[in-house]
Amino acid sequence: MDANKEATTVELGFWDQHRFLILIGLAIAVALVLVTISMALYSSSGAIQLDLSRPGYKAVTSQAANDESSFVDYPTSGKLDAKAINDFKTLYDTQAAKAKAVDAFGGDPLNPDTLSISAPQN
Amino acid sequence: MLNSRRLITLGLLATVVASVVFLTRVSADDSSMTDAQIVRIKASCTSAKTSLNQLRVSDALLRVNRGQMYDSMTSKLMSPFNSRVDSNNLNSKDLVSITNNYNTAFTTFSNDYQAYAEQLSSALNIDCQKEPVAFYDAVASSRTKRGQVHSDVVILHQYIDDYATAFGTFVSDNQQTIGVGK
Repeated sequence: MDANKEATTVELGFWDQHRFLILIGLAIAVALVLVTISMALYSSSGAIQLDLSRPGYKAVTSQAANDESSFVDYPTSGKLDAKAINDFKTLYDTQAAKAKAVDAFGGDPLNPDTLSISAPQN
Repeated sequence: MLNSRRLITLGLLATVVASVVFLTRVSADDSSMTDAQIVRIKASCTSAKTSLNQLRVSDALLRVNRGQMYDSMTSKLMSPFNSRVDSNNLNSKDLVSITNNYNTAFTTFSNDYQAYAEQLSSALNIDCQKEPVAFYDAVASSRTKRGQVHSDVVILHQYIDDYATAFGTFVSDNQQTIGVGK
């Protein structure tokens, strides 16, 4: 009986003895590779710039506009008559005015004088 | 003995030459910046970084909100209207052309903003107490890139106006077909 038990133990190799640990190790390695790839894509695609849930941006998350409700989709099909033209004109003029209302990224907040890092005036 | 003296002399000469070269390079890097300015950068370091951090957050919000608005202009208005014109067998060539230009300008805007945001982040990562010159240069580069983003915004606004003009021309050219002005 003891001899049989010993024979069974001897037959198990290194991989058989540690297969559970190897499985866990491989799972962690695969997860790390996938996370690295996804983080690289997240960063290189520019999605990171649009993510206001990042640490340091949460204060302005609530100020992000939910444009879905205010911006009406113009129908892609249907007869193009006077009413359709007028509807589009009204819609377009309204949204164009909103789009142009803000001179985004204007001003000069990075001016060295503004940041007090310019050469001192004598 | 003679060889040793020669070696020592050569070593000293090499040290002097290396020092001169090194000092020349250092002075070339800092040539555009005075000591007084470096002192000022170090003194304003904390407040400048606070301002940059606030700007980074407010610009990110601006990018999200304006980007959404600019994207909706083409995805919800221009492109659907072009499709509708096309499905009514009318000429939408000018409208499509402006829409394509607008889309290209929007892609440029997105790429330029990304470049600006990355530059601003790298400026924030510089220790301005230890590397004031590098910090100043990084801020200057961010400023240039932000200016480019603003130029992209101006171009987008121009295309929005161009589309409105092309729409007016389209309507006047097709008054009979669509029954406007009857």
